[in-house]
Amino acid sequence: MDIKIDNKICKVEYGEYLLQVARRNNIYIPTLCHSDALPGQASCRICIVEVIENDSSKVVTSCVYPITKEIEVITNSEKINNMRRTLLMLLSMRVPNHEALSRLMVKYSVPAINRFGIDMNEKCILCGLCVKACEEVGQYAISTVNRGITKKVSTPYQEPSVSCIGCGACASVCPTGAIDIFEKESKRFIWNKTFELMQCTRCEEYFITKEQLDYMNERLGYETEVLLCEKCKKNVVSESFKNIVQNL
Amino acid sequence: MMHKYPKEQRYTLAILQDIQRKYGYISKESMEKLSVYLDIPISRIYSMATFYKALSLQPKGQNIIKVCDGTACHIRSSIAIIEEIEKLLHIKPGETTMDGLFSIETVNCLGSCAIAPVMVINETYYGKVTPILLREILKGYGGTIDEDR
Ligand code: SF4
Ligand code: FES
Ligand code: FES
Repeated sequence: MDIKIDNKICKVEYGEYLLQVARRNNIYIPTLCHSDALPGQASCRICIVEVIENDSSKVVTSCVYPITKEIEVITNSEKINNMRRTLLMLLSMRVPNHEALSRLMVKYSVPAINRFGIDMNEKCILCGLCVKACEEVGQYAISTVNRGITKKVSTPYQEPSVSCIGCGACASVCPTGAIDIFEKESKRFIWNKTFELMQCTRCEEYFITKEQLDYMNERLGYETEVLLCEKCKKNVVSESFKNIVQNL
Repeated sequence: MMHKYPKEQRYTLAILQDIQRKYGYISKESMEKLSVYLDIPISRIYSMATFYKALSLQPKGQNIIKVCDGTACHIRSSIAIIEEIEKLLHIKPGETTMDGLFSIETVNCLGSCAIAPVMVINETYYGKVTPILLREILKGYGGTIDEDR
């Protein structure tokens, strides 16, 4: 099936998401809350585009819009750009100091507004990706709490969560770097909880929490004897590969 | 009390409402029990309990005063009523008096705009409330009122 995006003919499979198709064809659509690993969040709405079908047009969220017909898509009409401007303005009032957002604001020439006593340190756009990531890991340590202007992501009672294993999946998926995670020597701090880190058997770098390791072992069903960090894992693989090639 | 409900996630809110009604708030302990009973993460329950205005994490007073601050009541100076209560009972909306007798909340339109400004204590409606009337009403509930004010 063919569809037309900004006058470019693109091949699509039935049911593919519009954003996916656009990206494959190098057509730019801005996104904030889309993650390839955790698709379907659809809360920031920056990825809106116009879909034209039987002479009428509608605005859709491209990251979750499945293609089922031969449609025509416009990603940057005046209408869409104006709507994006409004969205960016609203988002910027919550997250005034954010790189990707500021870049988009410049691109769409949205003036920075400073009303309503904005919290200059706020980074979270409340997209909920972190909550989803934590659910996916199966720990359910965080959730959105409160509502309206006091809504935020937190552990229950803001206390260190019993179920958090300190894996940092939430922080790594966050599009705005809003989750405080930092490491110092053999410790990792996240969500008001301190974790002891374990060392890589090869390079001795601290890289994984004890709880994370237990979690992995439980999933795998056996205990790993050597503990390798990502870097060393790669090196080991490439070394053994080199050996094989040399011995050929 | 949760045992009268089947162990299904969709009853979470209903059970939380029951807990709220019975104890006047949702304690950490009851959240933990509910989490075990329905087998849902505590973070989910906490999220719900903090989302709905009808649920509270802090113990509520014996008498709950709801002052309407909807459009009609606002125009008919509900703010003056709220301020008067603040002065008389020394609490702000969302708070409870030290003796545990009263809590105040503000709500948006109680559907009785004709008798604005409106206030509800527990289940009783009071219309056309004035600061003077307010003192009388609160006394009726055994409120110790700062008379010098
Ligand atoms: S902390 Fe990050 S991932 Fe989580 S809701 Fe906020 S912006 Fe999204
Ligand atoms: S990227 Fe589609 S809604 Fe955020
Ligand atoms: S605005 Fe108060 S009852 Fe309608």
